[in-house]
Amino acid sequence: MSVATSRHTAATVTPRRKRRPVLPYWLLIPAIAILIVGTGYPTAWQLFNSFREYGLAQQFGKPAPWVWFDNYKELLGDSQFWAVVLRSLVFCGVTAAVTLIIGLGIALLMAAVGRTVRIILQISMLLAWAMPVVASMTVWTWLFDRRRGVINYVLDMIPGVDMYRFNWLAEPLTFFFVASVIVTWMSVPFVAFSLYAGLTQVPEEVLEATDLDGASRTQRLRLVILPIIRPVMSIVLLLQIIWDLRVFTQITILQDAGSSATEFDLLGTYIYKLGTGSQHFGTAAAASVIVLIITLIVSGGYVWRIMKEDSK
Amino acid sequence: MKKTMVGIAAFATAGALVLAGCSSSDDNTTSPAPSATGGASAEGQNITLWLMGGDTPDALRDYLKTEYAAATGGTLTIEEQDWGDALSKLTTSLPDSENTPDVTEIGNTWSPTFTTVGAFSDISDMYEELGGASLLKSFVDVGIVDGKNYALPYYFGSRYNFYRKDVYEAAGVSVPTTLQEFSDVTKKLTTSDMSGFYIGGSDWRNGISWIFANGGDLAKQGDDGKWVSTLSDPNSIKGLQMLQDLYKNSSHAPVGEFDSTPWVNINDNESTGKPEAATIIAPGWAHWSIGDAAENDNGDPINVWNDEKNGVFVLPGVDGGVAPVFAGGSNIAISAASKNQEGARELMKIIFSADFQNMLGQNGLGPANLDYASSLGDDQFAEALRTSAAGSKLTPAAPGWAAVEGSGLLEEFFGKVNAGGDIPALAAEYDGKISALLNG
Amino acid sequence: MNRRRGRRIGLSILGVVLALIWVFPVYWMINSSFLSNRTLQRFTPTWLPFGGSMRNFKAVLADGSFFNALGMSIAVAAVTVVFAVLFAFLAAIAISRFRFRGRASFVLAVLLIQMLPAEALFIAQYKMIASVNLLNTVIGISIIYVAAVVPFTVWMLRGFVAGVPAELEEAAMVDGLSRSRAFFKITFPLLMPGLVASSIYAFLQAWNEFTVALVLLTKDESQTLPLWLRGFIQASATRETDWGQVMAASTLVAVPVIIFFMFVQGRISSGLVSGAVKG
Repeated sequence: MSVATSRHTAATVTPRRKRRPVLPYWLLIPAIAILIVGTGYPTAWQLFNSFREYGLAQQFGKPAPWVWFDNYKELLGDSQFWAVVLRSLVFCGVTAAVTLIIGLGIALLMAAVGRTVRIILQISMLLAWAMPVVASMTVWTWLFDRRRGVINYVLDMIPGVDMYRFNWLAEPLTFFFVASVIVTWMSVPFVAFSLYAGLTQVPEEVLEATDLDGASRTQRLRLVILPIIRPVMSIVLLLQIIWDLRVFTQITILQDAGSSATEFDLLGTYIYKLGTGSQHFGTAAAASVIVLIITLIVSGGYVWRIMKEDSK
Repeated sequence: MKKTMVGIAAFATAGALVLAGCSSSDDNTTSPAPSATGGASAEGQNITLWLMGGDTPDALRDYLKTEYAAATGGTLTIEEQDWGDALSKLTTSLPDSENTPDVTEIGNTWSPTFTTVGAFSDISDMYEELGGASLLKSFVDVGIVDGKNYALPYYFGSRYNFYRKDVYEAAGVSVPTTLQEFSDVTKKLTTSDMSGFYIGGSDWRNGISWIFANGGDLAKQGDDGKWVSTLSDPNSIKGLQMLQDLYKNSSHAPVGEFDSTPWVNINDNESTGKPEAATIIAPGWAHWSIGDAAENDNGDPINVWNDEKNGVFVLPGVDGGVAPVFAGGSNIAISAASKNQEGARELMKIIFSADFQNMLGQNGLGPANLDYASSLGDDQFAEALRTSAAGSKLTPAAPGWAAVEGSGLLEEFFGKVNAGGDIPALAAEYDGKISALLNG
Repeated sequence: MNRRRGRRIGLSILGVVLALIWVFPVYWMINSSFLSNRTLQRFTPTWLPFGGSMRNFKAVLADGSFFNALGMSIAVAAVTVVFAVLFAFLAAIAISRFRFRGRASFVLAVLLIQMLPAEALFIAQYKMIASVNLLNTVIGISIIYVAAVVPFTVWMLRGFVAGVPAELEEAAMVDGLSRSRAFFKITFPLLMPGLVASSIYAFLQAWNEFTVALVLLTKDESQTLPLWLRGFIQASATRETDWGQVMAASTLVAVPVIIFFMFVQGRISSGLVSGAVKG
């Protein structure tokens, strides 16, 4: 990702490569093959079945009648579905933004500190990342538990603040606040590591040059470092948006501890309830396709920009 | 570029469709297995049994394995499924001949759903042999489609109340004998630190007892065979109002809480030394977790029942007697896609044998064959179990009932009612949502 | 100079504080794994595990199922990492070192694939894997995992490969090395940080994945660690969940990852130290 060199390389292709290259196609085959098998078929199945009525009976052999857009109409006409969509978009926006900012901060910190502190940070991030989701959700629900939680215990000690038996999971607002904290905590290590890896590619002499030019730290950050790591940042942000929009495990475990009413649903749990819960697999498939379209709309700008940068 | 993109997309779709074609032809090879009257024998067949949750104790599991090996020479493998994940595993595995469990325990509330879609083999021919009319009727009924038996009872449980004798005595109240008295007594017992009756706001499995007790029901089947949700029925509404008052006055439990571990509240709390609840309602096996804190020989923490502090009583009906409570328990069935029908039938015979039925009772699990109900014993728990089970009710045997449970609609509905909502309006709203799912 | 020193110290303190905050839940998990279930139910938190014991660990390891699940998880993770990184690496070289028709479409496809919804896919995944008799096998589940991990890995590695100019190889070839020797001797070591980061990502995805494993690994003996762990959370008729054991089991599941990281951690920094990309 060094600024000038890759562009230079692409432009000055050596003569022997001017003929139609065959090697790249061979190199691509393994990746394409596994993607078709592992992702292609299940997705085609899902697309296919979003146009059919597919429930438990169909699993056991009854034929699945074609209902074309009925599943879609049912969903799009349901105001609860739209409420869930809106909630998910807000949740995703807030969480992804916060995650990226904190992740970038930590990545920069990793680059700026000495080796020991860096390793301490990296180990801590990795431990958090490695912790099994079931375990971390259990610990987090304990931390926020109304009766036994450390958070209430500590907050209650602040004079004037009464957190005795405060139930974080009772109201949607505090529920999603807790969810956002947890998802951010879980996502930051990935962002930090990826951005840090990107930062290691920033050439030393460029940084030295900015020092010589007398640039302030913030200027250096804004004008030099960020543009260089923009490709990594874009992809990481894109992934955060995609994942946060469809977050499922954390929400469902929080619902088990709190309330599983639809007010506490995001798209992930909503679709799960449709599919596995009510066995309306056709409708769940349609909902997934709608989510895909929403994701495309939300991230379209990003994807376009990434493609543009790539073709330079 | 566009051309290539179309090309790649076409290739991917074609590949996917080919694969889709391959597997969907597999769907049709789940041929209905022949009923084993004569023909192949169970000799040497290795079968798999799926059990739900940890309800069946190890001793019973070992018994089944030994007996099965003795009877057929084959091996019985038992796999335990978590109740929470069971629905997705049953959905994917049951239709698949290569990987289906041969025999599976199935929650009694899920029986109608899976039976209706044809997941299980017809075992009407074994009905008499396995117990016939001695088998718990309501459970047999949910396993019948078109007059044929597909699933039979495995064990039944029931719910009754546990209370703190010391707390009741100190407050000068005695065990209630009618449902209204229950509300009054528990209200009197309630303090800011202690619930007179601890029930989660979204706990429908216990909450429906109030609907049942007042003569209401969750759903009924019309003359046209279609099921409708009956939360708006006047009796149901009466029951819900009673529950709403009870919750408001007697329970400090959060509105979103289900029925998972109520016994935690009736034991003395580690920090305060006092219980958080004076009364709870729970499945019979909860009594193992109730009592004074102690340690067993291994040093593991356990609870020891203390007759001076802990007591039981059955939820009283509206006019005295016994209120209909939610009938817990499971059915058991043979997978229609199983290739080992004969082995599976052998296992069923072992399960319904006198020895095994007695073992169920001795371990606190109500045996499917009521002739052996005495094996439950004579202690207060057995008495309470028998009494409350006698009047217990099942959830509606509608084809779509598993979907209703899976969608969490009842938890939501009860949560909103107990949060103080307008009952008739909520009932009408949720009747609509539930009816939409009931018929599958 | 003092300013800079002071700043350095300030940043170091900040780093340590953040590290402690982030690792707190992990600490809590380990702390709880030494305590009894009863202690954990108390309303006042127990901050340090004094007075605790190894009882939970003993109980959890008692029937040996941990080692079985461990073996399965290691196998699946190893296969996933190797193949995902390998396939992605090849693809990354293709798209960053070459210009060819269809290149942009492939890149776009890689981006779009990650948006495909996965929630209701388990039925299709089950049917597909079952139809080729690969249920309960390492290969079967690895196929799904590799496919899930490849898109992001391609993207990450592409950036790294593009960051190492082809001139370096060409310079080495002028010196007499063959193309492939030049590649392995010069370029490859510089890609280490990227390869390591991708490996960690792939490893963690495979190690902690639950929903696909639940459906494709139906037998007890082919369980991966997340499924094994799930078994402890289940309350049953005769006992409630022992949270001390759940935490002990979780700690055991997290430990191999730490070991893996310790092993590869050295590589990230060595890649950097030797990395005079530009000089």
